[in-house]
Amino acid sequence: MSVGTREEWLAARKELLADEKELTRRSDELAHRRQELPWVPVEKEYVFDTAEGPKTLTDLFDGRSQLLVYHFMFGPSVEGWPDAGCPGCSYTADSLDGSVTHLAHRDVAFVAVSRAPIEQLHAYRERMGWSFSWVSYGDSDFNIDFSVFTEEGRRTGKGFNFGTAKHADMDLREEELHGLSSFVLEDGVVYHTYSTYDRGTDVLNATWQLLDRTPKGRGEDPEGWPRRHDEYPEEDT
Amino acid sequence: MNIGTREEWQEARDALLAEEKEHTRRGDELARKRQELPWVPVEKEYKFATEDGEKTLAELFDGRSQLLVYHFMFGPDYTAGCPTCAATADSVNGVLPHLNAHDVTMLFVSTAPLEKLQSYERRMGWRLPWVSAGDNDFNLDLGFSRSEEQTREWVEPMFDQLPPVAARNAKDTGTDVVRYLTESPGFSAFALKDGVVYQTYSTTARGLEFLMGYYPILDRSPRGRDEGPEFQLWIRPHDEYER
Repeated sequence: MSVGTREEWLAARKELLADEKELTRRSDELAHRRQELPWVPVEKEYVFDTAEGPKTLTDLFDGRSQLLVYHFMFGPSVEGWPDAGCPGCSYTADSLDGSVTHLAHRDVAFVAVSRAPIEQLHAYRERMGWSFSWVSYGDSDFNIDFSVFTEEGRRTGKGFNFGTAKHADMDLREEELHGLSSFVLEDGVVYHTYSTYDRGTDVLNATWQLLDRTPKGRGEDPEGWPRRHDEYPEEDT
Repeated sequence: MNIGTREEWQEARDALLAEEKEHTRRGDELARKRQELPWVPVEKEYKFATEDGEKTLAELFDGRSQLLVYHFMFGPDYTAGCPTCAATADSVNGVLPHLNAHDVTMLFVSTAPLEKLQSYERRMGWRLPWVSAGDNDFNLDLGFSRSEEQTREWVEPMFDQLPPVAARNAKDTGTDVVRYLTESPGFSAFALKDGVVYQTYSTTARGLEFLMGYYPILDRSPRGRDEGPEFQLWIRPHDEYER
């Protein structure tokens, strides 16, 4: 830290503001580029288990023309199984829950999908106090089909996050994944438009974004952080 | 829209991914630059009305070393909070335990009397620490509130250029455009060290979009934000949407 006068702060802040504005405009540009990605028809039929019985991908649009899917890690390889979903996804879901309420009024349906059976998803959702839609893809190939996009990847389960080296050993046939996928429905056809994983979901997490604006930044994570929001020791909260 | 094959998509997606990664890294760099801003000692003594009685700015840190403040537009004359700030609060309401466990206290500050804030908070079902700066100059000094006279001087010459959301939100908050705009939305960060409070950061306008959780999601949807000049007009307090 360096202590300064209001005038010194203001000069430095204005310089930073120019950089921040540039980053915002660049973000707009990337959003525009995402819209230019080709739409790929989804030809396979997927059936999801939902609170209202089995539903197809088209049904999940719920009368809207756009569908955003959060891949929430909740399966046998996740810490907390069989009672709880992944702590990291839960941490992000705490940000998503209040925001997605507004999306339905912008022609966008939002749903979280996981491997675990629907009863487990809903019991955990109740424990965490969330209200977003959450469905189970069960035994279907939905998760692997929207996380690796090559024939070889689907056969080996390898290649998460577009083949990044960091996850080279991850086998998606066994393990869960987190990410966001976008779909659009036009003239009765569902198209896949976009998917992002790993740090690509940072901006969906208000806590990360807030920490980026604190005096000390993200810093070193405290031990055992982040946890499920009801698992922090009392003295922390 | 253009329809493509999986291979065409993959090629375009890989190119975009490289740019997205660059954008993420640039974001990390700006976070570092924020930490390098000089810390400015807050010398004035402010007293806030809180649910636990009157508190100073240092007391609002609640035992932690960092304090984040969202300046929520809820002026003394408002009958309800600003709808856009309410949607922002929806995005933040669930994350406080994670911040608190990371040595960060976050709270909301408005100039309306505490009872009004508490009653609106109950209506919206939030559990946000929300304090009133109605009896101090905190918001004025940081530039997020101003007198009706000052607001009129600033607003009147540009009345025709205001986006439609200003008039709509003024109506929603039971005010008129001038009284509505006596408040501005904002975000400020403070540090507490050796008993001294420092201001480290402030932002407003599009600098607040990181707190509007629906925007980054819409930025990844097939049709984007798609708002045009009518931006934010679609945003309602969450209990006023028709299903």
